[in-house]
Amino acid sequence: MSFATKRLGKELSKINNSLPPGIELVSADNFEEWFLDIRVLDNNPLYANQVYRLKFKFSAQYPIEPPEVVFVKLANRPIPIHPHIYSNGIICLDLLGQQGWSPVQNVESICMSLQSMLTGNNKDERPAGDEEFVRGNRLRPKDIDFYYHDNNV
Amino acid sequence: MPPPNTPDESLPDEEQANLAVFLPPDQPRRPDSILERRTTRTTEHQTAPSQRGPAILPLDYQVLDYVDTVDDTLLCPVCRTAFHSPIITTCGHTFCATCINRALEMQPTCPIDRKPINKTSDFHQPPLIIKEQLDRLKVKCPNVGCGHICSREHLEGHYEHRCEYTQVLCPSSWCEKRIARRYVSADSHCMHSEAPCQYCEENVAEIDLSHHYDYLCNGVTATCQQCEASIVQHRLEKHIEEDCPETEVDCQWFSIGCKVSDKRLIVFEHEKDCPYKIIGQLVKERAEDRKLIDGLMGRITVLETRAYERHERQARRAQRGSLWPPPSTTAGSQGDSVPGAETEEERYLRSSTSPEGYMLARFERLESRMEDLAKQLQDMDAYQSSFVLQQLYPINNQLVELGSKVGVLNMHTTWLMNMQRFQQRAVQTNGPGLANPGMSSAAENNAPPPAVDDYSGPHYDQYYRTFRRRNSDGRDMPPRL
Ligand SMILES: [Zn+2]
Ligand SMILES: [Zn+2]
Ligand SMILES: [Zn+2]
Ligand SMILES: [Zn+2]
Ligand SMILES: [Zn+2]
Ligand SMILES: [Zn+2]
Ligand SMILES: [Zn+2]
Repeated sequence: MSFATKRLGKELSKINNSLPPGIELVSADNFEEWFLDIRVLDNNPLYANQVYRLKFKFSAQYPIEPPEVVFVKLANRPIPIHPHIYSNGIICLDLLGQQGWSPVQNVESICMSLQSMLTGNNKDERPAGDEEFVRGNRLRPKDIDFYYHDNNV
Repeated sequence: MPPPNTPDESLPDEEQANLAVFLPPDQPRRPDSILERRTTRTTEHQTAPSQRGPAILPLDYQVLDYVDTVDDTLLCPVCRTAFHSPIITTCGHTFCATCINRALEMQPTCPIDRKPINKTSDFHQPPLIIKEQLDRLKVKCPNVGCGHICSREHLEGHYEHRCEYTQVLCPSSWCEKRIARRYVSADSHCMHSEAPCQYCEENVAEIDLSHHYDYLCNGVTATCQQCEASIVQHRLEKHIEEDCPETEVDCQWFSIGCKVSDKRLIVFEHEKDCPYKIIGQLVKERAEDRKLIDGLMGRITVLETRAYERHERQARRAQRGSLWPPPSTTAGSQGDSVPGAETEEERYLRSSTSPEGYMLARFERLESRMEDLAKQLQDMDAYQSSFVLQQLYPINNQLVELGSKVGVLNMHTTWLMNMQRFQQRAVQTNGPGLANPGMSSAAENNAPPPAVDDYSGPHYDQYYRTFRRRNSDGRDMPPRL
């Protein structure tokens, strides 16, 4: 059994017991790909009454390596507008990068970080160069090295 | 546009290498520490001569199932299981050795507070109290089929030496498969080769035959007379003997005194809270201890005989006007000297006195330790017996108390039933106030009921009094239930 499987098994049984408000497990059929729904808990007009779908992809090295986390677009699940979220769902959060990641993080803590990232935002805009990036990007999210230092969110 | 990242470096999987580096050089090596044991064990496995892998796969601490929920403070933040070979960093955080080593491959900082960590200078032994807490955790044996539960410090011993379900290498030297220890055949032949099942002609490995018969075989089926399950013909007998929920069986504590005997299903439910369970378990434990003691005693006897033989030889040599003084500690005076030709062995021993003396001294030390052990075992045995008795005494008392309570209850019930019957009768026949408790009550009632054909009041009063007198608590009023 791989390290990731063992750890994810532990996380799943905890998630099945309880999750913080605003986070819901949609599916976890294997230990490679999970889907969760999140929503903000305050009345931020940018995100009020919306639910967002997250896709987690785990490598065999999880939690040593970060999971790949993106927002997924569905009929009733838009991509939240945010200066660090590209319109194809890729998230620019240092927690999810190779540098900012720590193996003590877990699915639940990532969801909570994303929740608070949305809650704290009031800019109705996409990252600079979004269109260009979305058109040209062929890289997997984890291979993109974002510049986190310009973050003010 | 952000530049792509450098390609991932895959993590080396060698636990051994990781373990070797985390012991700080200036730290005195404690031979009893978990770290030490773990390291030696790994080495053993690695030096196993066979090409077929280690004799026993190392115990995987990350999949252990603990009996109670493990306190959060004992969980490794990386793998989320109870620490295994924990180390503490200079910044004060604790991780499993393997976990922190893997994490450091990725980033040379503490996963929690991101302080830089150097494997050689920032790894320390955790306080003993943590190890003790970990040692005490109650854990289930990870082998499928084994229900053994013990404290974690003993699990490795159980898993490696005693568990009958541990997967060991197939005794046949050319087979690379593994087999549970209990299924290793007496003549050490390989049980993995497939042969057609004699009932359904499907190819089945010998090791899987029993499972095949029980669950997979498509041979001629028969219907169990008792539970109507459909079973492969040749397993019917076994089914009735071991599985059928309708077979009459005794409670598993039958030999200890529980006389419950019923259909398997009912007995199974009963066994969950059989009053004899506690005693039964104690007796079982004691039997296990006994076995252990017997084994040790046997070994002691063997050693004692050997020691005695040694003594004799030594004494003989001493008496023969020896060329060397025998070591003072081992100067055995007993021993009838057997004058005669020097044996080849003795001549050899004579030429190497000091190692011999040394060995004898060591041997005697060991012997005295064995004696101590035997004594300790006897003490334990005595302790165990008195423990059983201590446990039995309150249980006995409780049983007596329960018995008397049941008696009282029984009486109350009878009284109530009579009362009710009497009232019903009164309403039906003589109107309110008069009745007969009825002939039907005679069976359940120890008190003599009034004559069957007599419905008059006085008799009832008399009956009522008789009955009331039987109340052992002497209350006048009907007891409140
Ligand atoms: Zn730290
Ligand atoms: Zn760990
Ligand atoms: Zn076992
Ligand atoms: Zn074999
Ligand atoms: Zn068959
Ligand atoms: Zn049956
Ligand atoms: Zn019983």
